[in-house]
Amino acid sequence: MKIAKPLAAAAVLATTALSGSLAAAQESDDSYRFVMVSHIGSNDPNMAWLTLSMDEFTKRYPNVQTEYISTNQYSIQELVRLLEQAIATRPDGIAVPIVSSDALEGPLRKAIESGIPVVAFNIADPRPKDERIPYLTYVGGDEYLTGQELGKYALEQAEAGEIPMPERVVCASHDSAHQGLKARCAGMKEVMEAAGAEFEELFIGAEPATARNTMQSYLQANPDTNYIFTVAPWSAPWAWGVANDMGLDPDVDDKGMTIITVDASPAALEGIKAGHVLASSSQGFWLQGYAPMEWLYWYHELGYTPQSDILTGPTVITADAIDHWETMVRKVFGDVYDEQNTW
Amino acid sequence: MKHLVKGQGFGAVIGVVLMLAVFSLIDASGWWTAQTMSNVIHYTAILGILAMGQALVIMTKEIDLSVGSVYGLAGIAFIMLQPALGVAGAILAALMIAAAIGVLQGYAVVRGGLPSMIVTLGGLFTVRGIIYVWTGGSVKAFPEEARNAFVTRLFGGEILGLEAAVFWMLAVAAMLNLVLWATRFGNHVLATGGSAESADSRGVLTGRVKIVTFMLCSVLAGFAGILTLADQPQTHVTIGDLMELEAISAAVIGGCLLSGGRGSLTGAVLGAFIITSFRYELIALGAPSSWFITFVGVVLIVAVIFNQKLARMAGHSV
Repeated sequence: MKIAKPLAAAAVLATTALSGSLAAAQESDDSYRFVMVSHIGSNDPNMAWLTLSMDEFTKRYPNVQTEYISTNQYSIQELVRLLEQAIATRPDGIAVPIVSSDALEGPLRKAIESGIPVVAFNIADPRPKDERIPYLTYVGGDEYLTGQELGKYALEQAEAGEIPMPERVVCASHDSAHQGLKARCAGMKEVMEAAGAEFEELFIGAEPATARNTMQSYLQANPDTNYIFTVAPWSAPWAWGVANDMGLDPDVDDKGMTIITVDASPAALEGIKAGHVLASSSQGFWLQGYAPMEWLYWYHELGYTPQSDILTGPTVITADAIDHWETMVRKVFGDVYDEQNTW
Repeated sequence: MKHLVKGQGFGAVIGVVLMLAVFSLIDASGWWTAQTMSNVIHYTAILGILAMGQALVIMTKEIDLSVGSVYGLAGIAFIMLQPALGVAGAILAALMIAAAIGVLQGYAVVRGGLPSMIVTLGGLFTVRGIIYVWTGGSVKAFPEEARNAFVTRLFGGEILGLEAAVFWMLAVAAMLNLVLWATRFGNHVLATGGSAESADSRGVLTGRVKIVTFMLCSVLAGFAGILTLADQPQTHVTIGDLMELEAISAAVIGGCLLSGGRGSLTGAVLGAFIITSFRYELIALGAPSSWFITFVGVVLIVAVIFNQKLARMAGHSV
């Protein structure tokens, strides 16, 4: 129930955003300027999801000017600096990921108190609602659900005889301190342990050779492992390569190893297409650009304040729908799509 | 006995023997398998090449903190330049980039009179930054025909059922040992690290020796990066991250003293073997893999103390 509500909100939102309802609202005489301050810089192809959806939004609401500002540095300080600059320009609304509630709390509370509405996107403030930064709502994915839904899909496939039943599942994580990745593993763990499988989280690091060496060591020491869940798409080819070198038959079939990953990225999609990966997930990046702008708009125009977070994912990506996903992601990534296919 | 102890890699030999004895006692069935050996030896080969380069620099009483980044940059260069230069051309270009970084750093240390720790720390960040800029923070594909090219397989394929990297490591070790122990240059390396003033007074061009060792260290790091990606051409911006610490640890565990003038290339490879073996065994014993870094720290300190004692037993003043 707790999950159904935000998912339903996201579904309604997606429908209205994409189908053309609320046409009357766009006839407003007021003009607005909304700023998205983002940690996803131009060096990350995922930025295109957000900027393209914001362009779509401004086509639909021509009285709204949207701006996307971001940093290419993986630095919270740099994001805070950009946010403070954005607040100083007195926009009519801000969308920002809560990469660090400690670092962003001060400037965001000041902005909200001065009358600038804020929507959190991509990363929520993890604290309870009455303690968190008082933003209008959060628009983004849910990492725990990502692991859980992928686990459920894998079990369905196993019960249908398409893949082996899980015996031991290893969640290969490249960042042992990343709460989002831990939540992905935890979601998968709940489903797999309920199905009677052993589950373990393995810190592999992000250095490719070291990660492969670590995974290989784990698989040798735990030969009953038959599922690998990589919580980043780029580590899925590493996992497949290790399992393949060890003769563990890692392709998707009713024997050997099964590999599951995350993200609607070229590595994940091409892995599914080639039969190397069972499934992946999308956190609905497109909506994460569009929906915050709409809620800011509706807040101004209609006085609406959403009463729950709005989940834009996960959507489980499977082989059945791979052509649709490939077409869509190719449109967003352009030539980079093929460059990022590391299979 | 004293002669044996005088061998700079003796501490690492003892370490390996002890380690194998313990592993045989606690996990004989898991440890002594062809797959475990293949896994451990493969990664040992990669880390061993990095560690041998590091050992050469340490022998001259310097240190190179940039090897992990250089390893990454050369690997990335190999992948990125392949479409324009072909596989062989990309390998040559990547090695030249690595060599240029080594020469630049060596030159800054020698001519600029700067501490190598600071220069190569700057190198570590600068080179990592270049990787971010060059790749756009993203992964890059390596075309199928390039993967199957003869030269790629020569560096990344298998020979007699073993990874090619293992044979390359053995070849590099044989060649460098020959250079170190049977040539004037090798003598100059040890003399430079032992006492630069004394070496200077005997006509050794210590500055040039140091620049050459920095260059060799970078080239070996780059070569290890190429071997890794020729085998599994899957890049990531974090490629080589923290490998400098593993390489330094391997060299020190293998008998290199940071006071210079003493060290062992074979010991560095054995140090890499110890580090890699423990990664496997910790995982096999069910310890969280994040404990590995704690282990490396502990072994490093123990090895330094042990190697210093051995050196003193052998009559060296350290």
